[in-house]
Amino acid sequence: MNRLRLNNILMALVIALAFIWLFIPFVMAVLWSLVDPSQPWTADKLLPPAMSFYRWVNMWQNSSLQPALLTSYTLAPSAAILSLLLAFPTSFALGRIAFPGREVAKTLCLLPLVVPPFITAVFFTALLYRLGLTAWRPGAIIFAHAVVFLPFSIRILTVSFETVRQDHIDAARDLGAGHWARFKAAYLPALRPGIYASLLIVFIQSIEEFAIAFIVGSPDVVTIPVLLYSALGQDYVRPNAAVLSLILVIPNVFLMLFLERLLKSANPTLASGKG
Amino acid sequence: MAAINIQKLSKDFSGFKALTELSLDVREGEFLTLLGPSGCGKTTLLKIISGFIEPTKGHILLNGKDVTKVPPEARDTALCFQSYALFPHLSVRENLEFGLRQKKVPALDRKDRIADVAEKLGLGPQMDKLPNQLSGGQQQRVSLGRALVMRPSVILFDEPLSNLDAKLRDQVRLEIRRIQKDYKLTAIYVTHDQAEALAMSDRIVVLKSGQIEQVDTPERLYAAPRTGFVADFIGNANVFTGRVLPQKTPTIWRIETPIGILETGNNAGTEGAEITLCWRPENAEINDDGALGGTVTSKAFQGHFTDLMVETKGVPYRIQTSRTDVNEGDTIGFNVPGPSVILLENAQ
Repeated sequence: MNRLRLNNILMALVIALAFIWLFIPFVMAVLWSLVDPSQPWTADKLLPPAMSFYRWVNMWQNSSLQPALLTSYTLAPSAAILSLLLAFPTSFALGRIAFPGREVAKTLCLLPLVVPPFITAVFFTALLYRLGLTAWRPGAIIFAHAVVFLPFSIRILTVSFETVRQDHIDAARDLGAGHWARFKAAYLPALRPGIYASLLIVFIQSIEEFAIAFIVGSPDVVTIPVLLYSALGQDYVRPNAAVLSLILVIPNVFLMLFLERLLKSANPTLASGKG
Repeated sequence: MAAINIQKLSKDFSGFKALTELSLDVREGEFLTLLGPSGCGKTTLLKIISGFIEPTKGHILLNGKDVTKVPPEARDTALCFQSYALFPHLSVRENLEFGLRQKKVPALDRKDRIADVAEKLGLGPQMDKLPNQLSGGQQQRVSLGRALVMRPSVILFDEPLSNLDAKLRDQVRLEIRRIQKDYKLTAIYVTHDQAEALAMSDRIVVLKSGQIEQVDTPERLYAAPRTGFVADFIGNANVFTGRVLPQKTPTIWRIETPIGILETGNNAGTEGAEITLCWRPENAEINDDGALGGTVTSKAFQGHFTDLMVETKGVPYRIQTSRTDVNEGDTIGFNVPGPSVILLENAQ
């Protein structure tokens, strides 16, 4: 009885924290984006005194939001796919081949994540310039994003490769399957959730990444975060920044829900123990 | 013609000798069981036959053709996995069809073969289910069916019943045997369960440390084990070393063992020779005037017989009797009839 009560209290606490953590900033962003320029929203008022879609319309028509959207939504999926392709062989080796020092290699692959992103960005950019890889700036950003977010992809796919069952591979082989058929029957069902997760995580990271996109891309290539930082930094127009951050976050939320769906539909393949 | 010739096969795993110079012929249409304790090399041998492991030395011939270097996908064998290894995202029908698609069997032919196997295995109502919607026994049957539709020269079983409960195991055991006979398949079956081996096999290969200990029919293996290892592994046996005494008559040999003197009509050799012998616990006849005797140290009632652990001069052995009036602590007399004394090779 006591335990049940404790559980309820803890649950309520978690919900309250989640509310403060997620919901309030989101509501604030929505409210800020709706502030009408005719009357400023001052600290003494609970809600903006006048609300309209002026900022949204204005941003859409009079800023570089449209090309930035196009750029961001071209770069991010490209980086996600490239990162997946680059991670594939490494993850296969880490997940399926036994070699001395495998656990160390796994940790080494994760190590780049502990370096603050801005430092990585600065030095990685310097390296790109050195190597002369900046001739085509969007390409350079895609490459840089794919490489910087590679640890996520490698880690996720390594775990996926580890869940592939050797007896499924053997069974496919025994029944006469060639390389591709073996991959489709034994690997792909187990890898699918990892592939989706890797694509999504790199996509989101890339969409939100500022440092590399700014340093490598400027002044020709403008992504949404670059626009957002200039709205916050140079001009400091909080309602505009709110519009931009919502534009960044809303598709991500939908993608997240979509992924959740995909992972659920892929689940039976993982869940069947003796299958 | 033998379906499989195994010629002087050896396999080393970085220093560990899994198989040593093993030779064996498997006859066409025969059900052959590889039996032995874990680590005896039986699974390694099966994997070499199916092509997943390449032998260090030696050759393997399938229907007269050397397949030593042929990969599993190109080999005319089908393997039934211990874990069933059904593709979890494919329905029963798609699982059965998988191999046929790989071999590019025409659609009509595929349908016929699957219908035939599904009927024989009683899989009809399950055809559109996913493997995780099936019971263990049904999954086992699908796994067998997936191998059967391939109509392979040889079907290989890797301890296929070890994940089933005891009752189901007995039932599936009979079913596998029936289907093997129906299709006149050559089957190689790996198990560590001697009861399973005795019940199913035409011949049993007893393996020990990567070498063949004995190959024979179940009946002969039980009645005439060649070594103490085989005697003890197949059924129960009381194994003793003894010394041959002067012969009683020209046809009766006498052997002195730690529990007393045994007499047998089997030729034990010359006087003074050291020999190893055994007798089955169920062959001892309890009899108050018996030539041998001991004290019962424990007793386990098994239904149709009673299992007694008996000790003579500190040496323990086992007797099985239909008598129920013997109790712990009793001193009993018994005889071991001459024909029941099995002479073994000395090497253990």
